[in-house]
Amino acid sequence: VRDLCAAAIDAATGAGAEYADARVVLKRNQLVATKNGRVDRLTDAESEGIGVRVLVGGAWGFACDRRLTSEGAREAALRACTFARAAAGNHSRQLAPLDVQTGHFRSAVERDPFEVPLAEKVEHCLRADAALAGPDILVRQAMVRAQREHKLLLSSEGTEVEQELIECGAGIDCSAAGNGVFQSRSYPSAHVGSSCQSGWEYVDGLGLEREAPRVAEQAAALLRADPCPSLVTTVVLDADQVALQVHESVGHPTELDRVYGTEASYAGTSFLKPGDLGSLRYGSEKMNITADSTTPGGLGSFAFDDEGVPAARTPVVAEGRLTGFLTSRETAARIGSGAGGSMRADGWNRMPLVRMTNLHIEPGEGTFDDLLADVDDGIYMETNKSWSIDDKRLNFQFGTQIAWEIKDGKLGRMLRDATYTGITPVFWGSLDAIAGPESWRLYGLTNCGKGQPGQSAHVSHGAAPARFRDVQVGVKA
Amino acid sequence: VSAIEVARAALEAADGDAEAVAHTERSGLARFAGSEVHQPTLIENTVVTLRVVRDSRAGVATTNKVDSDGLAALARRASEAADSAPADETFPGLAPPSEPAQVEGYDERTAELGPDDQARLAAAAIEAAEIPVYGFFTSAVSELAVATTTGVSVEQRMTDATALVVAADEGRSGYAETTAWRSGDVDPAAVAREASEKAARTKGAQELEPGSYRAVLEPYAFADLLEYFSHDSFGGLGLLEERSYFSGRLGKRIFDEKISIADDSLDPRGLPKAFDFEGTPKQRVQLVEAGVARGVVWDRETAAQSKNGAASTGHALPVESRDWGPLPYALSIAPGDAESVEELAELVGDGIYITRLHYLGVLHPREGVITGMTRDGTFRIRDGKIAEPLVNLRFTVAVPDLLGEVYGLTRTAALVNSQNFYGERYPYGVLSPAVAAARFTITGVGSKPGI
Repeated sequence: VRDLCAAAIDAATGAGAEYADARVVLKRNQLVATKNGRVDRLTDAESEGIGVRVLVGGAWGFACDRRLTSEGAREAALRACTFARAAAGNHSRQLAPLDVQTGHFRSAVERDPFEVPLAEKVEHCLRADAALAGPDILVRQAMVRAQREHKLLLSSEGTEVEQELIECGAGIDCSAAGNGVFQSRSYPSAHVGSSCQSGWEYVDGLGLEREAPRVAEQAAALLRADPCPSLVTTVVLDADQVALQVHESVGHPTELDRVYGTEASYAGTSFLKPGDLGSLRYGSEKMNITADSTTPGGLGSFAFDDEGVPAARTPVVAEGRLTGFLTSRETAARIGSGAGGSMRADGWNRMPLVRMTNLHIEPGEGTFDDLLADVDDGIYMETNKSWSIDDKRLNFQFGTQIAWEIKDGKLGRMLRDATYTGITPVFWGSLDAIAGPESWRLYGLTNCGKGQPGQSAHVSHGAAPARFRDVQVGVKA
Repeated sequence: VSAIEVARAALEAADGDAEAVAHTERSGLARFAGSEVHQPTLIENTVVTLRVVRDSRAGVATTNKVDSDGLAALARRASEAADSAPADETFPGLAPPSEPAQVEGYDERTAELGPDDQARLAAAAIEAAEIPVYGFFTSAVSELAVATTTGVSVEQRMTDATALVVAADEGRSGYAETTAWRSGDVDPAAVAREASEKAARTKGAQELEPGSYRAVLEPYAFADLLEYFSHDSFGGLGLLEERSYFSGRLGKRIFDEKISIADDSLDPRGLPKAFDFEGTPKQRVQLVEAGVARGVVWDRETAAQSKNGAASTGHALPVESRDWGPLPYALSIAPGDAESVEELAELVGDGIYITRLHYLGVLHPREGVITGMTRDGTFRIRDGKIAEPLVNLRFTVAVPDLLGEVYGLTRTAALVNSQNFYGERYPYGVLSPAVAAARFTITGVGSKPGI
């Protein structure tokens, strides 16, 4: 397929493109899901094609073709040039300089998830599914997934990189209903579990069957729990919810394309301005956020992004101050800082966009119990249930599946329907403790949406439980 | 190669009982920001999904390699998946042959639009706006075909076009969109003017004290809210799993009697569909009639699980999306008597006016509680008039409470695009009038409109 990429680039430059890149992507996905003891979904999907991106007269164009033939490659390149030439605007797009990159990368896996027989995956789910059975449990679900993405990128600047990214994941959910109340619990995360760039050893290590009875008991207990009260109080969030908070209120607003408004028509913009870099107070001094596409096991880990920029580790917030944006070569050139490195495309038939790779909150010190010990009255919330945030990523409202009162440093009665709300820099300013490295976990989510046409990205967040003071909880309709 | 030819070829490659769903797409989307096209995307793809059934064991495989080698490999993978599944006594079997209704939804002129046309129509929006615009023009031709060894052989060609514009600069923003299956019904310049005029009225937006307000929701906002509500409450799986607001309420009064809601894929005012992803003909389903909960939509699997005589209404989704069960992809809200949104504002008297919502999240599915933000055109209503602009507001509403007391709806309904063009192109939307209601709960204030 290298020749196809080269043919596409030759066709594009021959048609007047001052820059072109071509990506061939072969992707395979497997999903096994069971529900109430029967197989709900058992799918094995593959997709392949070539996507060609061109700059003609400073304007972008993108076209793709599923045919991995020289005809398909050339036609995609010429269509991309046609679209770029026709694009309205006074284009003057520049790219940050990039040395020619060459290399190969493959995810480190012990047991390739595609070598695991489907029957074994089905059995894995059915065992976890059965272990969720219990009083008041109406719906039991278990799922495992695997993905292999093999891609080759060539650019007209001479970059040529090949990567094979392998990931897998798993999760369980159950729902309980009774007396007009409906409650759910999940493990290790809601929204299709958690995934990791890893082999099947990651799924084995999650211990779905082991965790299932606790998950089911909590779902049933929630039917009889009191609703979360409405008040301003101290909140301790589990690592899963901290990861979601980082994703929504730090990850997206620091995407530099949003800062420049180019996502305004769909996902939204950002409360940040380019001039905030280095000066804006994002949160308390306990807040340290790092973008790291080198993280072992991260869903956003690679050797090169989809522009060929090498992976890097970049501080985004240091001691509460904004120190970095997530960039492409174009946005890096525009702001005059950085070199890109966050461009990712959802397969061969989408244009790369500025996306999160892996975005972590750095651990603090102490244990989860230490976080609770310093709380006289508060609420501990666990596992994301709902999420909503405004188009500038300022006003958010999140809900968790389960919560407990904190009284005199100890967990008390269980609460259902817990929510909390806030304004991003105010909320992060109220961070007064984060647990240490032993509590820090990597969560991988596969449903980050952005772009028109829509694209889903797979990203990871490392997080530990954290404590926030003076938070509004218990929002009522 | 047409979709039905691909589906039949996949079926021939399969060994035993099988269902093949083929989907083709040729689309162009000229996305612009700051009045420049910055992300123009052309897509051509053909995808075929093969479901092989061995006794009651089913396995599914998908590919976009549709030559003979690719289809042979597809059949092998689907068979391996089926062989890996345990027997499922609840499997309802593949759909029987049927004759779907003839529907509209294909326009030759729209199908012929190419990249130059799509760029030109995006430029028309850009040139018509007086302030910077962000959005896109897109058009596509797609085909869906289903063939089964039980005798189903159905195909449909579809076209769709959308112009969507956010007009915005510092401290002001407005929104508009138009979707149709005939591109001639989409006027990008008019969309841009509507968004610009709305934006011009949002300068100097003020905050609002949280609380319960009377409200007018434009079709964009009403459609979005109802679509989120529908995911849990209007589908058969939500009913079976007791997360639907309809659980225990079918036949009972749940909304104001002015509210009637159907799912109607056959309506030529929408984006018509003749059959679903199992090949079952689409039926019009009355969901709410004069405020009374009447029914939900079904696919073959959930209908079989219901054990109450339910039959598929033709609402199966693509197999990769079936974790939600069947969903209504052609919601249609019955209009009312009001001539305009201004007349609805008169009915409200004192309240708020909402153009559009953003980033909705379902808090409590069983109670239909949804949160989100208003965006791109929120105003105060005073003395029956649309008055000063408001900042973006956080709301947390129980949809049944919102629709429990309705002052009126507009006489005309707009088709609001609901597909954000993830995955394969399958155009769908909501036919929605504007609505005036007694209770819309504001629970927080956000930022000012604009970039």
